[in-house]
Amino acid sequence: MAADIHKKKGWEGPNGSLVPADGQPTERSESPTPGLAQGMEPGAGQEGAMFVHTRSYEDLTSPEDGDVASRSPEKGRGYQADQTSMEQISKDFSELSTQLMGMALDLEEEMRPSQEDKMDLSLQTARRDSARSEKEDEDVTMEAWRMHQKHVFVLSEAGKPVYSRYGSEEALSSTMGVMMGLVSFLEVEKNAIRSIHADGYKVVFVRRSPLVLVAMARTRQSEQEIAHELLYIYYQILSLLTWTQLNHIFQQKQNYDLRRLLAGSERITDNLLDLMARDPSFLMGAARCLPMAAGLRDAVSTCLQQAKAKSLVFSILLSRNQLVSLVRRKDQFLHPIDLHLLFNLISSSSSFREGEAWTPICLPKFNSSGFFHAHISYLEQDMDLCLLLVSTDHEDFFTVSDCKRRFQERLRKRGMSHALQEALRTPFYSVSQVGIPDLRHFIYKSKSSGLFTSPEIEAPYVSEEEKQRLLELYQYLHSRAHNSSRPLKNIYFTGPSENLLAWVTSAFELYVCYSLLGTKAAAVSAVNKLMKWIRREEDRLFILTPQTY
Amino acid sequence: MSRKKTLKSKGGSSPAPSSALPPAKENGRAGGAAARAKGGSSRPRPELPLNGAALPSRPSLSSSGEFYDVAFKVMLVGDSGVGKTCLLVRFKDGAFLAGSFISTVGIDFRNKVLNVDAVKVKLQIWDTAGQERFRSVTHAYYRDAHALLLLYDVTNRASFDNIQAWLTEIHEYAQQDVVLMLLGNKVDSTQDRVVKREDGEKLAKEYGVPFMETSAKSGLNVDLAFTAIAKELKHRSMKLPNEPKFKLHDYVKKEVRGSGCCRS
Repeated sequence: MAADIHKKKGWEGPNGSLVPADGQPTERSESPTPGLAQGMEPGAGQEGAMFVHTRSYEDLTSPEDGDVASRSPEKGRGYQADQTSMEQISKDFSELSTQLMGMALDLEEEMRPSQEDKMDLSLQTARRDSARSEKEDEDVTMEAWRMHQKHVFVLSEAGKPVYSRYGSEEALSSTMGVMMGLVSFLEVEKNAIRSIHADGYKVVFVRRSPLVLVAMARTRQSEQEIAHELLYIYYQILSLLTWTQLNHIFQQKQNYDLRRLLAGSERITDNLLDLMARDPSFLMGAARCLPMAAGLRDAVSTCLQQAKAKSLVFSILLSRNQLVSLVRRKDQFLHPIDLHLLFNLISSSSSFREGEAWTPICLPKFNSSGFFHAHISYLEQDMDLCLLLVSTDHEDFFTVSDCKRRFQERLRKRGMSHALQEALRTPFYSVSQVGIPDLRHFIYKSKSSGLFTSPEIEAPYVSEEEKQRLLELYQYLHSRAHNSSRPLKNIYFTGPSENLLAWVTSAFELYVCYSLLGTKAAAVSAVNKLMKWIRREEDRLFILTPQTY
Repeated sequence: MSRKKTLKSKGGSSPAPSSALPPAKENGRAGGAAARAKGGSSRPRPELPLNGAALPSRPSLSSSGEFYDVAFKVMLVGDSGVGKTCLLVRFKDGAFLAGSFISTVGIDFRNKVLNVDAVKVKLQIWDTAGQERFRSVTHAYYRDAHALLLLYDVTNRASFDNIQAWLTEIHEYAQQDVVLMLLGNKVDSTQDRVVKREDGEKLAKEYGVPFMETSAKSGLNVDLAFTAIAKELKHRSMKLPNEPKFKLHDYVKKEVRGSGCCRS
């Protein structure tokens, strides 16, 4: 049954992909290598996964999920008119863009960032460094404000602004009023607005009472993916307040100004949006592991496991959004979305660098009604290694802090600090290690472990724009592979500057980027070699033996 | 933008973040363990002498590896954005966090060992987030604090107006004999100042609290604020017989520097 839902809810692919999907043996034979059963693919954990496999109750019951995924009839027909054969994908793409943009665009032009995009990117980078107050100063009547690639707005059902990615919420209150107007206008007819497609823009609405989330994007992402990102923003807000508190507040007072409670968290939300635009973890719905010798990782995990306390639920060691080790309480699983929110929290503030932070945090996919208490600290000042201890008891700071001390002591006693430091020095591996000449980059996700691996992005994807373009290509492949009405298992896509291949099975997902010089046959046969390489390196690239307390 | 206290979780109007976590939907184990852990929670770290009791004969080792004789918990409180973290960073590292505003998440714990009259005093400083949603977390830590530094921003009237609310909260949650000090921060921004020094002095006198104006940017009175507190706490806990009584008010009055060029 779960598999059925998975098929319907294409946009929830990253999340749903943790669910065993129905493998279609007839299609298997066409695969370059024989299909691997789930749990046997490279990267699959030997003793089960660290993450939840089943959808949470909310996912199964929430009507909006289905709504977002099911496509409008017009568009459904449009997709059926698409050509089917793999070689036609590129033509397909330009057709798709025609449908979405309402005008015919040259494929090449489509895939190349336009002048405006470039300007936008520089704006974005500048903004990342600037203080929030500068963002607040941004004049919403200016052309530059309109030119941003993706706007995100959050408002309450009373039409009150809660968050805007660019510009101050006050200045946008009338705009948000219009948005709420659109939502309620359709609701009168017992209908729900999902998206508006016009002039290269997609306006996507996600309704999560008592909040309404709206994105206005000029990116090439599908509607489903944008809605998925909006849900991440919703979960981010829940992680600060809990679902219970959020609902309680608006039940008491419909026109409550939620910004009061969210004060100071804008940076975390900003960071989440920036991170989603450049980190494939969110697209994959999985976590990336820091490459590390299996022996060292196991030893570190054991140290972490021994430094336990009664109230601890998860101990997570991470370095720059890459997982080093995760120890969990038996029978308690972390959801990838929750892990991403934790990663984002840590990467969004430099204030954790010193001292020890202790903060309430709700993990909405684990339990949206209560707070955990997270102890966040860096192991050493100049080392990019952050320890996150998640406890159930808000009074347990000193106990948890002592766990950290014990963990550090164990590391020291076993003389592992140095080896860890060495491993941190090479947080990425080069794609040249695989030994496939035309291979530029790849993303491989093991579905049963919820982990993925990916080499460093190297030349020609040097500039931020190019890196983002590569991610956009992956996003495109992903959206085609997980399209709710027409999911695809194999995609070969010849673009203007690279060839791409996607292969999605019930056990894994593989997205590969080749140089333009190779042929399709070579690309397909190289996949075999790549899979073998991943299998050989799996104990370094993945966490195969997750530990529990 | 005035800080209203209607949403205090204590009143039961909203679920307090401090409440122990309910168990996971599918599983009741987490909750059970939480309750157990709560019962046996030993608040002060074993190495921390209770109530800052002096142990001069047996120096302890703090987590940062520094020896100390006595340890105290100091808490920084005040509205969001008044400069609590900046004040702490200035005191601890002698630097100013210029540029963008980074709001503290939850509570941040840092240690600093001071030398007060040949006694090593370890201050465990709790830097709290000023935002309303963290209020219930910080409440839990009031009662363990030996000293409180209450800050407002001289360029932000609302932060000064909220001081009364903060004092009420402190009286409600903190220990009776907590050492309290009022600080008016950001006095380097003379152009933007909206709260006069006299206003601060008047309020402080009303509540019988020592007061000084500080600047995390220039470093004015920052060390003094922490040293004064450390001296007071040390004198209270050690009570050496032949030592003259330490008077925090007098000490602050004598040592404090004005924001101008000359001594006030």
